[in-house]
Amino acid sequence: MRMLIIEDDDTLRETLARQLGAEGFAVEQAADGREGLYYAKEYPIDLAIVDLGLPEVSGIDIIREVRAAGKTFPILILTARDRWQDKVDGLSAGADDYVVKPFHFEEINARLSALVRRTGGWASSILSAGPVTLDMSRQELKVNEESVELTSFEYKIIEYLMVRAGEVISKTELTERLYDQDFERDSNVIEVFIGRLRKKLDPDNSLKPIETLRGRGYRFALERNQAA
Amino acid sequence: MYSLNARLLISVSVLLLLFFGATIVVLDTAFRTAGEQAREDILDGHLMSLLAAAEVSEQGELALRRELPEPRFSTLGSGLYASIRDSRNDVIYESRSGLGMRIPSTPAGAPGQEVFERLWLDDGTPLLSLTLAVQWEIAEGELRRFVFSVVESLDSFNAQVAGFRRQLFGWFAALAAIMLVSISLLLRGLLRPLRQIETEIADIEDGRRSALSSDFPNELTGVASNLNLLIDSERGRSERYRNTLDNLAHSLKTPLAAMRSLTGDMAAATDARFNEQIDRMDEIVRYQLRKPSSAPAGKLLLAPVDIEQEIARLIDGLRKVYRGKAPDIGVSVESGAEFRGDTGDFLEIAGNLIDNACKWCENAVRISVKPAGSGGLLLSVADDGPGVPGEAREALLKRGMRLDENTPGHGIGLAIVKDIAESYGGHLAIQESGLGGAQFTVTVPAQRSRS
Repeated sequence: MRMLIIEDDDTLRETLARQLGAEGFAVEQAADGREGLYYAKEYPIDLAIVDLGLPEVSGIDIIREVRAAGKTFPILILTARDRWQDKVDGLSAGADDYVVKPFHFEEINARLSALVRRTGGWASSILSAGPVTLDMSRQELKVNEESVELTSFEYKIIEYLMVRAGEVISKTELTERLYDQDFERDSNVIEVFIGRLRKKLDPDNSLKPIETLRGRGYRFALERNQAA
Repeated sequence: MYSLNARLLISVSVLLLLFFGATIVVLDTAFRTAGEQAREDILDGHLMSLLAAAEVSEQGELALRRELPEPRFSTLGSGLYASIRDSRNDVIYESRSGLGMRIPSTPAGAPGQEVFERLWLDDGTPLLSLTLAVQWEIAEGELRRFVFSVVESLDSFNAQVAGFRRQLFGWFAALAAIMLVSISLLLRGLLRPLRQIETEIADIEDGRRSALSSDFPNELTGVASNLNLLIDSERGRSERYRNTLDNLAHSLKTPLAAMRSLTGDMAAATDARFNEQIDRMDEIVRYQLRKPSSAPAGKLLLAPVDIEQEIARLIDGLRKVYRGKAPDIGVSVESGAEFRGDTGDFLEIAGNLIDNACKWCENAVRISVKPAGSGGLLLSVADDGPGVPGEAREALLKRGMRLDENTPGHGIGLAIVKDIAESYGGHLAIQESGLGGAQFTVTVPAQRSRS
């Protein structure tokens, strides 16, 4: 998941970026509205945190412009202006949720994963399809109730695929969304990771959870257990 | 206070009454005086002709030498009578016109002196009489006294005067009516700009207009532009106040958020104590900086809030926030409800109540908006959650007042709702809702700046 944080306070932004990075997000940072708007429109962003009180371009204007440009990724407002007027303005400009400063990291993390789930149509933070269960809050993958050990990058890939279970996701999209900075990394690496994931999830090759669609990408193929 | 229109019309009417009254009196007196003078002159002429016609013989007998030239003397009841009496007051001559009538006589004055007198006939007819006593020398040294008298009925004269008066009153009444009508028309035109100001202020209060137009006569442009300045600064004041508070909140809370984000790196025990302090500071900032946006005086000239639209916006936003829970939110808005004030204040009241209801409800939230009496607002938000037990209600309403005593961190929203409601002269009440949960009701009386 590629996440954009637009926040002008350096300490807050950098700490948040570090903490969210540790949660498995690929994080872009912008310190003012102009830069933030550029990232939001030009980069493949999955999720954005926007502070409302920004220099250059206000948070509300960013949200409005991003939505006007046709971007539909979820946006979480960070606001110190704890007024309903601001919250309502932000939400009706196109934001999806708000968190009031000073927040607990756990709170913002919970809101973010709820937003991520919603983009894939999941209602709960535990994604379950067939015998595969992914607990997003614990970053834990189980197959038939048995934990599967994953590296952080493997987790990022399976989370991305499972959140969008049923959708076809290209290799380019996966590299773009999962690496922190450069997109030039060899897409063969993705193939290697997908291969490892298949072995870990489905050692006897009976489930076939990840389909390869030649020339198009990958798809998490198991039926969702709960409709959201 | 009477209206300017009424005042001007009343004073103009009084002035007209005085002016026309005086004119009528002066004209009437002048007409009557001139008329009487003319009568007297005519009567004097008749007396002279009577004198000229009289002749005294050597024996002292008086007789008329010829008929009097004025035919009215010979016409019966013509209203003009002549008589001559001797010194014993016996009638020597009487004109034919007075035949059979008893014409009253007056005692004559000194010889040669004309005496005018008003008399009345038996039937009440007013008369003007002129008498002249004359000493006639018959023989040497022998004088004889005769009294000549001419009497004229004033009937026709009085009728003439009355006719003149009638005409005078008629004309002046018509004139006064025309003047009053034209003055009131003139006034209407003159006062139109003032009425326009009044209408435009009403429009501003109802939110149909944001400032007075500039289309006023020179004398009023100053007033209008000053009023506009006042309205602007009034509006700007609450906006500036709010911006200042918001900027302060922003600059206090961002460092708090940064501090909190850093606590993750600390040892657990220090972390908890740090966070506790951050919570306290946060609550103080939240409560103190979210007080009502303006003093009651600043609420004058504020347009009514579009309640239905703002509630719809709030619910749209909250539906996003509570998408996972998806509460069933029902709204009923009765017409006539009015909140005249700051939109931010209204959103603060409704937002906190509806957010709380969404947070605590099982599934259902019911919002109802009604007028409180005539105008005003009665907003109640009910949910089917656990509710608030009786003894906790008062404590909930009091919370936020004792922030420095480290109260638990919920209920600030309610304290803010209560403060804002009270700043508009209203109040917040907690009851049990028909759905089984809590029902919060805010009542705000009508805010009328117009009488």
